[in-house]
Amino acid sequence: MDTFSSLMMGFSVALAPTNLLFAFAGSLFGTVVGILPGLGPAAGTALLIPLTFHLDPTGAIIMLAAIYYGSQYGGTITSVLMNVPGEAASAITCLDGYQMAKQGRAGAALSIAAIGSFIGGTLATLGLVVAAQPLTKVALRFGPVEFFALTVLGIVLVMGLAGKSMIKALIMAVFGLLIGMVGMDPTRGSPRFTFGLTELLDGVGFIPVIMGLFGVAEVFENLQEEGQQVIETTLSSLKPTAQDLKASGWAIGRGTVVGFLLGLVPGMTGTASSVLAYVAERKSSKYPEKFGTGVIEGVAGPETANNAHANAALIPLFTMGIPASPSIAVLMGAFMMNGLIPGPLLFKEHASVAWGVIASLYIGNVILLVLNLPLIPLWVKFLKIPYTILMTIVLAVMMVGAYTVSNTVFDIFVMLLFGVIGYVLRKLDFPLAPIVLTLIMGPPMEKSLRQSLEMSQGDFSILVGSPIAATLLAISAIILLSPMFKYAWKRWVSQTRAQGA
Amino acid sequence: MKRVIAIAAVLLVCAAAVAGAAEFPTKGKSITMILGTSAGGSTDVGARILAASMEKGLAANGNRIQVENKPGAGWQIGLTALARSRADGYTIGFTILPQTITNYLDPERKAVFDRKSFQPLGMQVVDPGVIAVKAGSPYKTLQDVIDAAKANPGKLKASATGILSDDHLAVLQLQKLTGAKFAIVQFDGSAKAMTALLGGHTDLYFGNVGDTYPQAKAGEVRVLGVMDDDESKFLPGKTTFSQGIKLESSSSRGLSAPAGTSKEIVDFLAGAIRKAIDDPEHMKKMEEQGLTVRYMDPARMEKYWADMEEQIKPLMGMAKEK
Repeated sequence: MDTFSSLMMGFSVALAPTNLLFAFAGSLFGTVVGILPGLGPAAGTALLIPLTFHLDPTGAIIMLAAIYYGSQYGGTITSVLMNVPGEAASAITCLDGYQMAKQGRAGAALSIAAIGSFIGGTLATLGLVVAAQPLTKVALRFGPVEFFALTVLGIVLVMGLAGKSMIKALIMAVFGLLIGMVGMDPTRGSPRFTFGLTELLDGVGFIPVIMGLFGVAEVFENLQEEGQQVIETTLSSLKPTAQDLKASGWAIGRGTVVGFLLGLVPGMTGTASSVLAYVAERKSSKYPEKFGTGVIEGVAGPETANNAHANAALIPLFTMGIPASPSIAVLMGAFMMNGLIPGPLLFKEHASVAWGVIASLYIGNVILLVLNLPLIPLWVKFLKIPYTILMTIVLAVMMVGAYTVSNTVFDIFVMLLFGVIGYVLRKLDFPLAPIVLTLIMGPPMEKSLRQSLEMSQGDFSILVGSPIAATLLAISAIILLSPMFKYAWKRWVSQTRAQGA
Repeated sequence: MKRVIAIAAVLLVCAAAVAGAAEFPTKGKSITMILGTSAGGSTDVGARILAASMEKGLAANGNRIQVENKPGAGWQIGLTALARSRADGYTIGFTILPQTITNYLDPERKAVFDRKSFQPLGMQVVDPGVIAVKAGSPYKTLQDVIDAAKANPGKLKASATGILSDDHLAVLQLQKLTGAKFAIVQFDGSAKAMTALLGGHTDLYFGNVGDTYPQAKAGEVRVLGVMDDDESKFLPGKTTFSQGIKLESSSSRGLSAPAGTSKEIVDFLAGAIRKAIDDPEHMKKMEEQGLTVRYMDPARMEKYWADMEEQIKPLMGMAKEK
């Protein structure tokens, strides 16, 4: 059977009324998981596993998969409305999404995010259908050495996040790296900067830190201003303008590419994808200085990327039975508990399940779009709540969210501490985006460096030993050195002119 | 008369105490099951399946089993919470081995518990260790690997899933038994280690039957040995013992209560756990994931734990040296 007829068979499975219902239930629950900060897709899916025991396997897996990618839609809502990441992968959306909400353009931000998510998710699924095998081969070439080079490139891009002051951006980048150093050393298991606290052995949690820096700091800042106004939202601003759509088109395209490619790399997180997509938007923008003030590309790019990532990350699961993230591991568990082993055999032995689930990815994305767009006016009404009450709700939601991440009160204190730090940094006009980037890329960079050196028993030449790694490092070097060359070139040109004159 | 009243009172108190103990668990009161790992992992899913079966057994009394994830620090946070909770039977938790042992044997971790802090209740799963290579690798047997490692010490790259994990201890033990020397590369989690093996970045995969089973079944990897005396029903054939190497390693999931829990309560919980493990639904769901259900009663689990502790002690120094 060729791919097309297999997919058609899959659609006939996925469009069966019960399976449609499961896709809908999963999408809805996934959206809720996304909205609630702290409750991630992995935990959300795991909670439902015992419920699926008595369901038909195809329906159960369709539902669990829908929760997984549906959460990426929901995460945006919290980021835009509350400046609190509902999902780690939506953290960077706070930067411009919340600013848009403050300008009364939350509706436009949410619409673009939903449309971008739909396009990103659908195109990535197309990649899964047409080129899963060759893509997996490429993805497997990313081992620790190549992964290290990729993270170096990511960190070098931090320069693209500098606002008015490069020095301030770099200070923040180093601050992010330092926070990432807390916890057990990745290869020796020795505690670092933990002050004897068991809670810090695993490091400082990303979600509590980000909730503190963005959400809590925002609440503190609002406390200062008396007589806060309710955000004015007119109905016309609920929809994206023609200009928004035009600006977002390319951003959605770039977000799809970034998210899809990084989604294939084993070990890359959706958060890394969205952060790098944001950087890509800023770098390619004609007005990078405006980012952070409510630029729609800053929402469209990352939100598209995390959905493209989520769907691309399913490719290694289907081709090799490799779960690329904890949430996919839960999904894999669901397959296995139904006697289905993800991997090449799945397509041979249980073709209707495999293709049914793949077809449901398309259907689920449509359901999510249809589900999300009409709800946007409702979400935006949330902002009509008077500030004093709204901020109390936001703070309460964050407290619960920080606790939910690992069921410890410790994380609430981490969040509050970073709220204070975030407040001070805002007052001193330090940019927050570089912290997000280095906090996400730093720990995997260190880990992959140490793994590479373990592989070579300490020989550093392994780092340039593979063509992929060498190329990525060369690009990083060019990006890093290009301002210097530009400067030297300008000086040389002006000097020769001066001499000529 | 006063004496009679006093005796009667004493008897009453005794009767009440006996009745109280017999009444465990109070009708409708839920039992918390602490799990030192985040929701969604294989251990978590296994725990939830067991909890569902336990609830079924306790349904008449209306007791619910509440799985509470306390992830972090390689189980240390969850284990600390379990060791510190009240020994009244309403808090139990997973004490996975060897992770629990290495937690307190590693002085750098400053754990507040040791073996004596826990009262074993029963073993659910013993997942034997596995050594595998990529399909198409030149190494066909364990001996091939050992010969190659001896010919080029430190050149063969062997993956493990974290410092002092059961896989790491297995590599160290194999080195100790055979004199071979590998380049040990640590990954966080078996999925990442498996990806590296399939991508050709490492030569050897040290894992467990449960996490190797899907790829072994699909023919993507070749299993060189299961680290057990008995054949695995999921990956039959070669055991390390059958190849003359007495390497036994596993990752096992057992339940414990805080030390000091009364014998009546321990007996009750152990019975409930045993019944849940025997539940055909639990059995089926575990086996479909390639997990070897191996029930042990509290006494056997305690001995198993103590034996493993003795086996690990000499490896602790080796694990951290470079």
